[in-house]
Amino acid sequence: MSSLPLPVFLVLALILFCIGLFGALTKRNAVIVLISIELMLNAVNINLVAFSKYGPNPGITGQIFSLFTITVAAAEAAVGLAILFALYRNRRTVNVNEMDQLKR
Amino acid sequence: MTGEMIAFFILALVAICGGVFMIHSENVVHMVVSLIFTFLSIAGIYILLSAEFVAVVQVLIYSGAITIIMLFGIMLTKHDPKSEKRIAKSRILAVGTGVVAFFIIMFLAINKLSFKQQDVELYVHNVKKIGIELYSKYVIPFELTSILLLVALIGAVVLAKKDESEEMNEHE
Amino acid sequence: MMQYAWLIPLMPLLSFILLLLLGKKLKEASAYVGIWLTAVPLVMSFIVFFGQWGGESYKAEGTWLTIGHAVITFGIEINPLNSLMLVIVSLVSFLVHLYSKGYMNGDERVPVFFAYLGLFTFAMLGLVMSPNLLQLYMFWELVGLGSFLLIGYYYFKPEARQAAKKAFIMTRIGDVGLFIGMILLFWQVGSFEFDDIFKAVASHEMTHAMITLTAILIFVGAIGKSGQLPLHTWLPDAMEGPTPVSALIHAATMVAAGVYLVATMYPLFAASTAALTTVAVVGGVTAIFAASIGLMQKDIKRVLAYSTVSQLGYMMLALGSGGYVAGVFHLTTHAFFKALLFLAAGSVIHAVHTQDIEKMGGLYRKLKRTGPLFLIGALAISGFPLLSGFFSKDQILAATYEDGRFGLFWLAIIAAFFTAFYMFRLFFMVFTGEFRGAAKEVHESPGVMTFPMIVLGILAVLAGYVNTSWFGTFLSDYLGKGEVAPLASNHEPIWISVVATLVSLLGIFMAYLIYKKGSLSRDWLSRHLPSLSSVVYNKYYIDEVYHAVIVRGVRAFSYGWSLIDRYIVEGIVNGAVALVHWLAKLGSKCQNGQVQTYGAVAFVGLVLLLLIFAVSGGYFS
Repeated sequence: MSSLPLPVFLVLALILFCIGLFGALTKRNAVIVLISIELMLNAVNINLVAFSKYGPNPGITGQIFSLFTITVAAAEAAVGLAILFALYRNRRTVNVNEMDQLKR
Repeated sequence: MTGEMIAFFILALVAICGGVFMIHSENVVHMVVSLIFTFLSIAGIYILLSAEFVAVVQVLIYSGAITIIMLFGIMLTKHDPKSEKRIAKSRILAVGTGVVAFFIIMFLAINKLSFKQQDVELYVHNVKKIGIELYSKYVIPFELTSILLLVALIGAVVLAKKDESEEMNEHE
Repeated sequence: MMQYAWLIPLMPLLSFILLLLLGKKLKEASAYVGIWLTAVPLVMSFIVFFGQWGGESYKAEGTWLTIGHAVITFGIEINPLNSLMLVIVSLVSFLVHLYSKGYMNGDERVPVFFAYLGLFTFAMLGLVMSPNLLQLYMFWELVGLGSFLLIGYYYFKPEARQAAKKAFIMTRIGDVGLFIGMILLFWQVGSFEFDDIFKAVASHEMTHAMITLTAILIFVGAIGKSGQLPLHTWLPDAMEGPTPVSALIHAATMVAAGVYLVATMYPLFAASTAALTTVAVVGGVTAIFAASIGLMQKDIKRVLAYSTVSQLGYMMLALGSGGYVAGVFHLTTHAFFKALLFLAAGSVIHAVHTQDIEKMGGLYRKLKRTGPLFLIGALAISGFPLLSGFFSKDQILAATYEDGRFGLFWLAIIAAFFTAFYMFRLFFMVFTGEFRGAAKEVHESPGVMTFPMIVLGILAVLAGYVNTSWFGTFLSDYLGKGEVAPLASNHEPIWISVVATLVSLLGIFMAYLIYKKGSLSRDWLSRHLPSLSSVVYNKYYIDEVYHAVIVRGVRAFSYGWSLIDRYIVEGIVNGAVALVHWLAKLGSKCQNGQVQTYGAVAFVGLVLLLLIFAVSGGYFS
């Protein structure tokens, strides 16, 4: 039916995940860090959907799982931004370098 | 070279380019906008994987909602790339090598992976199937998700609300 | 009496211990403790000596250690040579104790001084009574320690400290040779006993090469202790010690220990011509070499020190030429007249408070007893007829001549000339002419100081008569009784005596002409051969050469190692420290409170785990 094999999707997901990971760990703007995390979640979603089609037990479950993931990711983005605002109001910065309260 | 393949490669190229541009850009707004392209092409990938409903959700939530929220976040905070301290080179190097190593290991693992292709017709009545599953088998997680969203909503409001003491300070 | 002979060395040891414990309380009285506790051994030594005259060798030993089949013993032995040495050592030691009572009067550390003297006397007496090499070696080192302590007695003077160190290190170089020789002998013979060693030598148990090797190694020890070339430089420097010490250690006893060692190991040496030749050549060259340095020195004690080195060379020459009796004979007479000379020099120094002979002169009239005694000593050492040195030196020359070493024989004749010359140069410069010093009043030393000198003066005159061809050969008979001693014949050609006498008289006459009459210019040599005279005056630059070659060499060597230590060994250590430090720094740097950093560290850790997993052949590989 399809000429596209599973590994192609997995490698795409892997590349996106790596980009997201690199961004999340090296970007200094907290908003970009949050977006990078979203990118990583997306990569995971690609995997889920790809497995739901080409995996050993294909079925609709994978898609439903990715729906849940998207929902939770949305919630996470909202709460994360709210925390960011709170922080920004206190410290007047969104630079993650200056967010070192864990040390204090 | 089938049309499906061409579609996949174009979409994958756009997705990766968006990601790379996001990493490379200095301007925060450009970053978010470049990511919109990534999200959109991921939605295209979903369609290729015969998941129309998920693709639509992806467009709605990621390309629409989350990106817009992030843009709001960027606009509500102050961004000055020049005044911001740079991330240490050593950390970029360490994380870079780590990511590359991670990529290689995972790539090797993926190469070894092989499943027998099975024919399933997920694209037939896709939304209907999802609806049936969601409301029968996954009804409790579904409801829990709605509670989670509610909690997130309230939590976000509470967190983002200005403190009264700060308001006092601003009035002074 | 013989069975109580072991008490002899214990008396000075008792003195040492008593003075260490009670010295602070006894103060000046501690001199009496030292004097009495050396007087007793003196009496006992005489009893032993005369008991030995008619009797047999006595030996008492107990087992000390048993190592496998080898038994190491500890004990005493009395044989003719031993008992003679006992008398010499205890007599000189007693006289020096007595003399020191006067000489050290007023010094604050008198108890310490007498304690050291006691320690030294104990070690020396123990040394000569040792029946085996190991015990001898132990006392040998103790003697070195005593010498070190006494040379460095004026420890607040940097020269004295240097001299003490130098003496210790230089003799130590010789001791290494002795030690190796001793171990080789033990390896070959399986015993440290002299008797066993001689038996092994006589029965050809050891190869000829091994005999030569061990003999020369043991002789190296003697070179160090007796100040022979090339290890002689410590002896003149050792004159930084108090003068009685110089008389006791560096004239009469300790430096004679080397000669005694060769004499006591004589059967071993006699079995190897090469070893004897080595001894003779070293002795002969040392004799002329040191005598020539003595010609130019300006310090009264240094002249005597070089004279000592030269006379010890004579003894070695005699032993190496087969003149066993002659060597021991000269050792005996030399002990008396050299101790006399040193004590007299001490008396002079005591009177004028300087050691520079340029600042003395005309003291013969002022020091009514010291002057004649010094003259007796000088005449004796120069070989003036009918004094003790005349007879013993004659026999050495005869032995050398008989042995057929004509080169060494003529060297010895020239050395005799030098000896006479520098001794009378010293005499004329110190005791005649005008006083050139700064001291206002010059007093004769007290009786406690002159009495020992008188005793030694009498001995210096008479000691020669114990072994002459026409008066009596008591010493030869006495020493020859022990089977160890090959006899040197006493029928020397008469012309040797005549030549020796003429030569020493010529030396005295030359000294008279130059330093008394002034008819020959003093600085004739330095004017006509300036380079030669400056070389001799600077002791042939031996010290400088040693400094340049050995001291610098060792310094450079150790500097090289210290560099390796500093940069390689410490580099490794510091590297390890720096590594840990760096890791810790890295760790603490990670704890900067930023979530992103924590995430990065966690991610790197995860990658590392995955890597290990992949490399070790997990699912991924």
